[in-house]
Amino acid sequence: MIKRFLAIIALLGAAAVLLPFVLKLPTEEALPGLASEYIENAPGELGAANLVTGIIVTYRGLDTLGEVAVLFAATAAVGLLLKRTGNEGGVSHWRASEILESGGGFLFPLIILYGVYIFLHGHLTPGGGFQGGVVIATGFLLLLLSGSVNSFNHTVMSLVESFSGFAYVAVALAGLIWAAGFLDPRFLPQGDFGRLFSAGAIPVIYSLIGLKVGAELIGILDAMRCKVRREGVTA
Amino acid sequence: MRNFKARVILLILTLCIWYLLTYPFDSQELIAGGITALVIILLPLPGIGILGDFRWTPKAFIFGFVYLFYFLWQLLKANIDVAFRVLHPKLPIEPGIVRVKTRLKTPLGRLLLANSITLTPGTITVESDGEDFYVHWIKVEGIHDKERTKKIVTGFEGFLEVICG
Repeated sequence: MIKRFLAIIALLGAAAVLLPFVLKLPTEEALPGLASEYIENAPGELGAANLVTGIIVTYRGLDTLGEVAVLFAATAAVGLLLKRTGNEGGVSHWRASEILESGGGFLFPLIILYGVYIFLHGHLTPGGGFQGGVVIATGFLLLLLSGSVNSFNHTVMSLVESFSGFAYVAVALAGLIWAAGFLDPRFLPQGDFGRLFSAGAIPVIYSLIGLKVGAELIGILDAMRCKVRREGVTA
Repeated sequence: MRNFKARVILLILTLCIWYLLTYPFDSQELIAGGITALVIILLPLPGIGILGDFRWTPKAFIFGFVYLFYFLWQLLKANIDVAFRVLHPKLPIEPGIVRVKTRLKTPLGRLLLANSITLTPGTITVESDGEDFYVHWIKVEGIHDKERTKKIVTGFEGFLEVICG
Protein backbone atom coordinates (compact mmCIF):
# COMPACT_ATOMS: atom_id res chain seq x y z
CA MET A 1 0.00 0.00 0.00
CA ILE A 2 2.70 2.43 1.08
CA LYS A 3 4.72 1.28 -1.93
CA ARG A 4 1.95 2.19 -4.34
CA PHE A 5 1.47 5.54 -2.61
CA LEU A 6 5.17 6.33 -2.99
CA ALA A 7 5.06 5.31 -6.63
CA ILE A 8 2.16 7.69 -7.29
CA ILE A 9 4.00 10.49 -5.52
CA ALA A 10 7.10 9.81 -7.60
CA LEU A 11 5.08 9.83 -10.82
CA LEU A 12 3.39 13.13 -9.88
CA GLY A 13 6.80 14.59 -9.09
CA ALA A 14 8.16 13.53 -12.46
CA ALA A 15 5.10 15.01 -14.17
CA ALA A 16 5.57 18.30 -12.33
CA VAL A 17 9.20 18.48 -13.42
CA LEU A 18 8.46 17.68 -17.07
CA LEU A 19 5.25 19.73 -17.49
CA PRO A 20 6.98 23.10 -18.06
CA PHE A 21 9.01 21.60 -20.93
CA VAL A 22 5.86 20.26 -22.57
CA LEU A 23 4.10 23.61 -22.25
CA LYS A 24 7.06 25.46 -23.72
CA LEU A 25 7.48 22.97 -26.56
CA PRO A 26 7.75 25.00 -29.77
CA THR A 27 5.52 23.96 -32.62
CA GLU A 28 7.40 23.66 -35.89
CA GLU A 29 5.72 25.58 -38.66
CA ALA A 30 8.30 24.60 -41.27
CA LEU A 31 11.11 22.07 -41.57
CA PRO A 32 14.37 23.11 -39.94
CA GLY A 33 17.15 24.29 -42.24
CA LEU A 34 19.06 21.09 -42.91
CA ALA A 35 15.94 18.96 -43.39
CA SER A 36 14.38 21.33 -45.90
CA GLU A 37 17.72 21.55 -47.69
CA TYR A 38 17.79 17.75 -48.02
CA ILE A 39 14.20 17.54 -49.20
CA GLU A 40 14.57 20.28 -51.80
CA ASN A 41 17.87 19.14 -53.26
CA ALA A 42 18.12 15.39 -52.76
CA PRO A 43 15.68 14.14 -55.44
CA GLY A 44 17.32 16.26 -58.14
CA GLU A 45 20.90 15.67 -57.02
CA LEU A 46 20.71 11.95 -56.32
CA GLY A 47 17.83 10.66 -58.43
CA ALA A 48 16.77 8.26 -55.67
CA ALA A 49 13.01 7.68 -55.46
CA ASN A 50 13.36 6.74 -51.79
CA LEU A 51 14.53 9.98 -50.22
CA VAL A 52 15.41 8.34 -46.90
CA THR A 53 17.84 5.95 -48.57
CA GLY A 54 19.33 8.80 -50.58
CA ILE A 55 20.09 10.72 -47.41
CA ILE A 56 21.34 7.71 -45.44
CA VAL A 57 23.72 6.48 -48.12
CA THR A 58 25.10 9.80 -49.33
CA TYR A 59 24.79 12.86 -47.09
CA ARG A 60 24.86 10.69 -43.99
CA GLY A 61 27.00 8.04 -45.69
CA LEU A 62 29.79 8.27 -43.13
CA ASP A 63 27.28 7.36 -40.41
CA THR A 64 26.26 4.32 -42.40
CA LEU A 65 29.87 3.30 -42.89
CA GLY A 66 30.27 3.68 -39.13
CA GLU A 67 27.19 1.55 -38.48
CA VAL A 68 28.61 -1.21 -40.64
CA ALA A 69 31.86 -0.95 -38.68
CA VAL A 70 29.95 -1.12 -35.38
CA LEU A 71 28.14 -4.22 -36.56
CA PHE A 72 31.44 -5.74 -37.58
CA ALA A 73 32.90 -5.04 -34.14
CA ALA A 74 29.84 -6.56 -32.47
CA THR A 75 30.11 -9.67 -34.61
CA ALA A 76 33.80 -10.02 -33.83
CA ALA A 77 33.08 -9.66 -30.10
CA VAL A 78 30.26 -12.20 -30.16
CA GLY A 79 32.41 -14.60 -32.14
CA LEU A 80 35.23 -14.19 -29.64
CA LEU A 81 33.02 -14.69 -26.57
CA LEU A 82 31.16 -17.67 -27.94
CA LYS A 83 34.16 -19.21 -29.64
CA ARG A 84 34.02 -22.92 -30.17
CA THR A 85 36.43 -24.69 -27.84
CA GLY A 86 37.48 -28.27 -28.36
CA ASN A 87 35.84 -30.21 -31.17
CA GLU A 88 32.23 -30.56 -30.22
CA GLY A 89 31.08 -30.11 -33.81
CA GLY A 90 29.66 -33.08 -35.62
CA VAL A 91 26.39 -34.83 -34.98
CA SER A 92 23.36 -32.87 -33.93
CA HIS A 93 21.76 -33.85 -30.63
CA TRP A 94 18.20 -33.50 -31.79
CA ARG A 95 16.39 -34.04 -35.01
CA ALA A 96 13.82 -31.69 -36.44
CA SER A 97 10.67 -33.28 -37.83
CA GLU A 98 10.63 -34.16 -41.48
CA ILE A 99 8.08 -31.43 -42.21
CA LEU A 100 10.30 -28.69 -40.76
CA GLU A 101 13.32 -30.02 -42.59
CA SER A 102 11.69 -30.15 -46.02
CA GLY A 103 9.85 -26.88 -45.41
CA GLY A 104 13.11 -25.16 -44.47
CA GLY A 105 14.85 -26.49 -47.55
CA PHE A 106 12.00 -25.26 -49.75
CA LEU A 107 11.78 -21.78 -48.20
CA PHE A 108 15.52 -21.07 -47.98
CA PRO A 109 16.09 -20.01 -51.63
CA LEU A 110 12.90 -17.95 -51.61
CA ILE A 111 14.02 -16.09 -48.48
CA ILE A 112 17.36 -15.35 -50.13
CA LEU A 113 15.50 -14.07 -53.19
CA TYR A 114 13.39 -11.78 -51.03
CA GLY A 115 16.43 -10.45 -49.19
CA VAL A 116 18.15 -9.68 -52.50
CA TYR A 117 14.97 -7.98 -53.71
CA ILE A 118 14.91 -5.77 -50.61
CA PHE A 119 18.50 -4.60 -50.85
CA LEU A 120 18.45 -4.13 -54.62
CA HIS A 121 15.40 -1.88 -54.32
CA GLY A 122 16.63 0.15 -51.36
CA HIS A 123 16.69 3.32 -53.45
CA LEU A 124 13.12 2.79 -54.72
CA THR A 125 11.07 1.28 -51.90
CA PRO A 126 11.31 1.12 -48.11
CA GLY A 127 14.09 -1.21 -47.04
CA GLY A 128 17.72 -1.47 -48.02
CA GLY A 129 20.98 -3.13 -47.19
CA PHE A 130 20.49 -3.66 -43.48
CA GLN A 131 16.97 -5.01 -43.81
CA GLY A 132 17.85 -7.22 -46.78
CA GLY A 133 20.88 -8.60 -44.96
CA VAL A 134 18.78 -9.49 -41.93
CA VAL A 135 16.21 -11.24 -44.13
CA ILE A 136 18.98 -13.30 -45.73
CA ALA A 137 20.35 -14.23 -42.31
CA THR A 138 16.88 -15.47 -41.25
CA GLY A 139 17.02 -17.92 -44.14
CA PHE A 140 20.24 -19.36 -42.74
CA LEU A 141 18.69 -19.44 -39.27
CA LEU A 142 15.85 -21.51 -40.69
CA LEU A 143 18.38 -23.98 -42.09
CA LEU A 144 20.06 -24.25 -38.69
CA LEU A 145 16.75 -24.77 -36.88
CA SER A 146 15.55 -27.37 -39.34
CA GLY A 147 18.78 -29.29 -38.94
CA SER A 148 19.54 -29.46 -42.68
CA VAL A 149 23.01 -28.07 -42.05
CA ASN A 150 25.24 -28.29 -39.01
CA SER A 151 27.53 -25.36 -39.67
CA PHE A 152 28.35 -22.85 -42.37
CA ASN A 153 31.50 -22.52 -44.39
CA HIS A 154 33.51 -19.90 -42.50
CA THR A 155 35.89 -19.28 -45.38
CA VAL A 156 33.09 -18.35 -47.77
CA MET A 157 31.34 -16.21 -45.15
CA SER A 158 34.44 -14.21 -44.29
CA LEU A 159 35.30 -13.89 -47.99
CA VAL A 160 31.87 -12.42 -48.72
CA GLU A 161 32.12 -10.15 -45.71
CA SER A 162 35.64 -8.90 -46.42
CA PHE A 163 34.95 -8.45 -50.12
CA SER A 164 31.78 -6.43 -49.58
CA GLY A 165 33.38 -4.29 -46.90
CA PHE A 166 36.38 -3.62 -49.12
CA ALA A 167 34.20 -2.89 -52.15
CA TYR A 168 32.04 -0.50 -50.10
CA VAL A 169 35.10 1.59 -49.25
CA ALA A 170 36.35 1.28 -52.85
CA VAL A 171 33.03 2.67 -54.15
CA ALA A 172 33.26 5.46 -51.60
CA LEU A 173 36.78 6.31 -52.82
CA ALA A 174 35.59 6.20 -56.45
CA GLY A 175 33.21 8.98 -55.47
CA LEU A 176 36.18 10.95 -54.19
CA ILE A 177 38.01 10.56 -57.49
CA TRP A 178 35.25 10.85 -60.13
CA ALA A 179 32.61 12.85 -58.27
CA ALA A 180 32.36 15.54 -55.64
CA GLY A 181 33.68 13.63 -52.63
CA PHE A 182 33.92 10.55 -50.44
CA LEU A 183 30.76 8.42 -50.75
CA ASP A 184 29.36 10.57 -53.56
CA PRO A 185 27.37 8.10 -55.71
CA ARG A 186 27.12 10.34 -58.75
CA PHE A 187 30.08 8.90 -60.63
CA LEU A 188 27.62 6.40 -62.14
CA PRO A 189 24.84 7.71 -64.42
CA GLN A 190 21.62 8.85 -62.75
CA GLY A 191 19.34 6.78 -64.97
CA ASP A 192 15.58 7.24 -65.17
CA PHE A 193 14.06 8.35 -61.89
CA GLY A 194 12.25 5.46 -60.19
CA ARG A 195 13.66 2.61 -62.28
CA LEU A 196 16.02 -0.06 -61.00
CA PHE A 197 19.25 1.21 -62.58
CA SER A 198 19.09 4.75 -61.25
CA ALA A 199 20.45 6.93 -58.47
CA GLY A 200 24.10 6.41 -59.41
CA ALA A 201 25.99 4.07 -57.11
CA ILE A 202 23.36 3.97 -54.35
CA PRO A 203 22.04 0.50 -55.27
CA VAL A 204 25.62 -0.78 -55.55
CA ILE A 205 26.46 0.52 -52.09
CA TYR A 206 23.27 -0.89 -50.59
CA SER A 207 23.82 -4.28 -52.21
CA LEU A 208 27.31 -4.44 -50.72
CA ILE A 209 25.93 -3.42 -47.32
CA GLY A 210 23.27 -6.12 -47.67
CA LEU A 211 25.86 -8.82 -48.35
CA LYS A 212 28.07 -7.62 -45.53
CA VAL A 213 25.27 -7.41 -42.96
CA GLY A 214 23.97 -10.80 -44.04
CA ALA A 215 27.38 -12.46 -43.71
CA GLU A 216 28.00 -10.82 -40.32
CA LEU A 217 24.66 -11.92 -38.85
CA ILE A 218 25.17 -15.44 -40.15
CA GLY A 219 28.50 -15.43 -38.32
CA ILE A 220 26.70 -14.47 -35.10
CA LEU A 221 24.10 -17.21 -35.59
CA ASP A 222 26.85 -19.74 -36.17
CA ALA A 223 28.72 -18.68 -33.03
CA MET A 224 25.54 -18.94 -30.95
CA ARG A 225 24.75 -22.37 -32.35
CA CYS A 226 28.09 -23.66 -31.08
CA LYS A 227 27.43 -22.18 -27.66
CA VAL A 228 23.99 -23.74 -27.38
CA ARG A 229 25.30 -27.11 -28.39
CA ARG A 230 28.10 -26.99 -25.86
CA GLU A 231 25.68 -26.22 -23.05
CA GLY A 232 23.48 -29.04 -24.26
CA VAL A 233 26.39 -31.42 -23.89
CA THR A 234 27.36 -30.41 -20.38
CA ALA A 235 23.84 -30.14 -18.99
CA MET B 1 18.44 -36.07 -62.03
CA ARG B 2 15.99 -35.27 -59.25
CA ASN B 3 18.32 -32.49 -58.14
CA PHE B 4 18.62 -31.04 -61.64
CA LYS B 5 14.84 -31.07 -62.06
CA ALA B 6 14.49 -29.42 -58.67
CA ARG B 7 16.78 -26.60 -59.73
CA VAL B 8 14.93 -26.05 -63.00
CA ILE B 9 11.65 -25.81 -61.07
CA LEU B 10 13.31 -23.45 -58.60
CA LEU B 11 14.51 -21.23 -61.45
CA ILE B 12 10.97 -20.93 -62.83
CA LEU B 13 9.58 -20.34 -59.34
CA THR B 14 12.10 -17.62 -58.43
CA LEU B 15 11.55 -15.83 -61.75
CA CYS B 16 7.77 -15.87 -61.21
CA ILE B 17 8.12 -14.53 -57.67
CA TRP B 18 10.54 -11.82 -58.82
CA TYR B 19 8.09 -10.81 -61.52
CA LEU B 20 5.27 -10.56 -58.98
CA LEU B 21 7.46 -8.55 -56.58
CA THR B 22 8.52 -6.08 -59.28
CA TYR B 23 5.23 -5.89 -61.19
CA PRO B 24 4.63 -4.06 -63.58
CA PHE B 25 7.03 -5.40 -66.20
CA ASP B 26 10.35 -3.58 -66.56
CA SER B 27 13.28 -4.80 -68.66
CA GLN B 28 15.86 -3.72 -66.06
CA GLU B 29 14.02 -5.67 -63.37
CA LEU B 30 14.00 -8.70 -65.63
CA ILE B 31 17.78 -8.54 -66.05
CA ALA B 32 18.38 -8.17 -62.31
CA GLY B 33 15.88 -10.91 -61.52
CA GLY B 34 17.40 -13.27 -64.05
CA ILE B 35 20.89 -12.80 -62.63
CA THR B 36 19.63 -13.20 -59.06
CA ALA B 37 17.71 -16.37 -59.93
CA LEU B 38 20.72 -17.87 -61.73
CA VAL B 39 22.99 -17.14 -58.77
CA ILE B 40 20.48 -18.62 -56.34
CA ILE B 41 20.04 -21.90 -58.21
CA LEU B 42 23.83 -22.30 -58.39
CA LEU B 43 24.22 -21.95 -54.60
CA PRO B 44 24.56 -25.12 -52.56
CA LEU B 45 20.98 -25.52 -51.39
CA PRO B 46 20.48 -28.24 -48.79
CA GLY B 47 17.12 -29.92 -49.09
CA ILE B 48 16.08 -28.32 -52.38
CA GLY B 49 15.76 -31.81 -53.86
CA ILE B 50 12.17 -32.03 -52.62
CA LEU B 51 11.06 -29.79 -55.48
CA GLY B 52 12.13 -32.62 -57.78
CA ASP B 53 9.23 -34.66 -56.43
CA PHE B 54 6.79 -32.73 -58.64
CA ARG B 55 5.68 -34.84 -61.56
CA TRP B 56 5.98 -33.51 -65.09
CA THR B 57 2.84 -35.19 -66.42
CA PRO B 58 -0.20 -33.35 -67.80
CA LYS B 59 -2.36 -35.24 -65.33
CA ALA B 60 -0.28 -33.93 -62.44
CA PHE B 61 -0.66 -30.35 -63.70
CA ILE B 62 -4.42 -30.69 -64.03
CA PHE B 63 -4.68 -32.25 -60.57
CA GLY B 64 -2.51 -29.48 -59.16
CA PHE B 65 -4.81 -26.86 -60.64
CA VAL B 66 -7.95 -28.60 -59.39
CA TYR B 67 -6.32 -29.08 -55.99
CA LEU B 68 -6.14 -25.30 -55.51
CA PHE B 69 -9.92 -25.07 -55.79
CA TYR B 70 -10.51 -28.21 -53.77
CA PHE B 71 -8.29 -26.80 -51.01
CA LEU B 72 -10.07 -23.42 -51.08
CA TRP B 73 -13.42 -25.21 -50.81
CA GLN B 74 -12.19 -27.23 -47.80
CA LEU B 75 -10.84 -24.02 -46.29
CA LEU B 76 -14.21 -22.31 -46.65
CA LYS B 77 -16.10 -25.26 -45.17
CA ALA B 78 -13.71 -25.55 -42.22
CA ASN B 79 -13.91 -21.80 -41.56
CA ILE B 80 -17.70 -21.91 -41.40
CA ASP B 81 -17.58 -24.98 -39.19
CA VAL B 82 -15.16 -23.44 -36.71
CA ALA B 83 -17.06 -20.13 -36.71
CA PHE B 84 -20.24 -22.08 -35.95
CA ARG B 85 -18.58 -23.87 -33.03
CA VAL B 86 -17.20 -20.64 -31.62
CA LEU B 87 -20.51 -18.77 -31.84
CA HIS B 88 -22.66 -21.68 -30.61
CA PRO B 89 -23.77 -21.01 -27.01
CA LYS B 90 -22.90 -24.57 -25.92
CA LEU B 91 -19.41 -24.40 -27.52
CA PRO B 92 -19.50 -27.91 -29.04
CA ILE B 93 -15.78 -28.61 -29.08
CA GLU B 94 -13.89 -31.69 -27.98
CA PRO B 95 -10.24 -30.98 -28.62
CA GLY B 96 -7.61 -33.65 -28.72
CA ILE B 97 -4.61 -34.95 -30.61
CA VAL B 98 -5.17 -37.86 -32.98
CA ARG B 99 -2.81 -39.99 -35.00
CA VAL B 100 -3.41 -40.34 -38.72
CA LYS B 101 -1.51 -42.24 -41.37
CA THR B 102 -0.57 -41.04 -44.82
CA ARG B 103 0.10 -43.09 -47.92
CA LEU B 104 2.34 -40.37 -49.39
CA LYS B 105 5.97 -41.40 -49.73
CA THR B 106 7.77 -38.26 -50.92
CA PRO B 107 8.89 -35.46 -48.54
CA LEU B 108 7.20 -32.84 -50.77
CA GLY B 109 3.88 -34.66 -50.66
CA ARG B 110 4.04 -34.92 -46.88
CA LEU B 111 5.03 -31.27 -46.60
CA LEU B 112 2.05 -30.18 -48.70
CA LEU B 113 -0.29 -32.50 -46.82
CA ALA B 114 0.84 -31.33 -43.38
CA ASN B 115 0.51 -27.69 -44.38
CA SER B 116 -2.89 -28.27 -45.99
CA ILE B 117 -4.09 -29.84 -42.75
CA THR B 118 -2.67 -26.96 -40.71
CA LEU B 119 -4.12 -24.25 -42.95
CA THR B 120 -7.65 -25.60 -42.69
CA PRO B 121 -9.09 -24.24 -39.44
CA GLY B 122 -9.81 -26.80 -36.76
CA THR B 123 -6.87 -29.09 -37.50
CA ILE B 124 -3.18 -28.50 -36.88
CA THR B 125 -0.35 -30.90 -37.65
CA VAL B 126 1.78 -30.80 -34.51
CA GLU B 127 4.29 -33.55 -35.22
CA SER B 128 5.19 -36.04 -37.87
CA ASP B 129 7.02 -39.31 -37.60
CA GLY B 130 7.46 -41.11 -40.89
CA GLU B 131 4.00 -41.91 -42.20
CA ASP B 132 2.31 -40.97 -38.91
CA PHE B 133 0.98 -37.45 -38.44
CA TYR B 134 -0.18 -36.20 -35.04
CA VAL B 135 -3.00 -33.75 -35.61
CA HIS B 136 -4.67 -31.50 -33.08
CA TRP B 137 -8.38 -31.54 -33.84
CA ILE B 138 -11.00 -29.16 -32.49
CA LYS B 139 -13.70 -31.83 -32.44
CA VAL B 140 -12.33 -35.34 -32.26
CA GLU B 141 -14.52 -37.78 -34.17
CA GLY B 142 -14.36 -41.50 -34.82
CA ILE B 143 -12.83 -44.21 -32.70
CA HIS B 144 -10.06 -45.73 -34.79
CA ASP B 145 -7.11 -44.10 -36.50
CA LYS B 146 -8.52 -45.35 -39.79
CA GLU B 147 -11.77 -43.40 -39.51
CA ARG B 148 -9.93 -40.27 -38.46
CA THR B 149 -7.43 -40.67 -41.29
CA LYS B 150 -10.36 -40.89 -43.70
CA LYS B 151 -11.89 -37.69 -42.32
CA ILE B 152 -8.75 -35.56 -42.19
CA VAL B 153 -6.27 -36.90 -44.73
CA THR B 154 -7.87 -38.90 -47.52
CA GLY B 155 -9.41 -35.97 -49.41
CA PHE B 156 -6.13 -34.08 -49.77
CA GLU B 157 -4.14 -37.25 -50.27
CA GLY B 158 -6.03 -38.29 -53.40
CA PHE B 159 -4.82 -35.15 -55.20
CA LEU B 160 -1.33 -35.02 -53.72
CA GLU B 161 -0.67 -38.62 -54.65
CA VAL B 162 -1.06 -37.71 -58.32
CA ILE B 163 0.85 -34.42 -58.06
CA CYS B 164 3.93 -35.67 -56.26
CA GLY B 165 3.47 -39.24 -55.04
